[in-house]
Amino acid sequence: MSSSPQPGDASNDPVTDQTGRFVRQPNGRVRPLSPHLQIWRFHITMWGSILNRGAAIGLSFGALFVVAWMVAAACGPDAYATYTGLMGSPLGLLIWFGITVAAAYHLTAGVRHLIWDAGSGLSIKGADTLTWISIVAAIVLAVGFWAALFLSGKVVL
Amino acid sequence: MSKPARFVRNVKVSEREGAGEWKAERLTSLILVPLALWAFASAWTVSGAGYDGATGWFRSPVNAILLAATLLISIWHMWMGLKVVVDDYIHKPSTRTALLGGIGLLCLALAFASVFFLVRLALGSAPLPAGLGA
Repeated sequence: MSSSPQPGDASNDPVTDQTGRFVRQPNGRVRPLSPHLQIWRFHITMWGSILNRGAAIGLSFGALFVVAWMVAAACGPDAYATYTGLMGSPLGLLIWFGITVAAAYHLTAGVRHLIWDAGSGLSIKGADTLTWISIVAAIVLAVGFWAALFLSGKVVL
Repeated sequence: MSKPARFVRNVKVSEREGAGEWKAERLTSLILVPLALWAFASAWTVSGAGYDGATGWFRSPVNAILLAATLLISIWHMWMGLKVVVDDYIHKPSTRTALLGGIGLLCLALAFASVFFLVRLALGSAPLPAGLGA
């Protein structure tokens, strides 16, 4: 490994470093700073992680829509018709499609995490495969669900 | 910080509530897997079913209990997840405390609202005179 730093290499010494590549951690130790996003080569597990956090935040908003649905139902037929009218509009359907995609991916990515927590699929290839499966399965679940909703006539645009 | 670190099988034992929260994250995830699948099936049932379809669905005790479990466990899971997001990106202690307080209050409000409206719907209580859409 010719590229590994040599002992005494001044460019790699946190004491004399002037490039800002080292940070003092809260525990007082000096550690190299992680390379930032533009340095990373994008890989699928990175996307899996970013999308999972995005889905989680999306679902937090989705919870508001679910509770709003219960409020509308508890307020009688007129309120319920107003709610379903709004949610049946193109924008409303887009919001619910987004909630469906977020729920489906957070579910499949969550199962992926549980598999990892159990100690399986932790090789690079295994982790990549699990991430691809979770993304494809989520798309199939969400798109299939909405295709069935439209085909059965339960939802009309 | 005064206590010496404890180790079990060469793994450091968490000093505060970290281990409990880690377990709670996995426990809620595990329970939410079947509940999420049930929620997809339920969404299929109530979609396009109208007011009578929805209120009829709520009056089934199985649906009411499963929905209460889904919502309350989801909100608990959501609270732990959002806390991690704030911990990751917000470094200023005062902003962090304020945000966590706000999110905590929102989660509590969501949990109370879920139970309140769900109980009314499950018991078939009279529509609330809120005048929404009336």
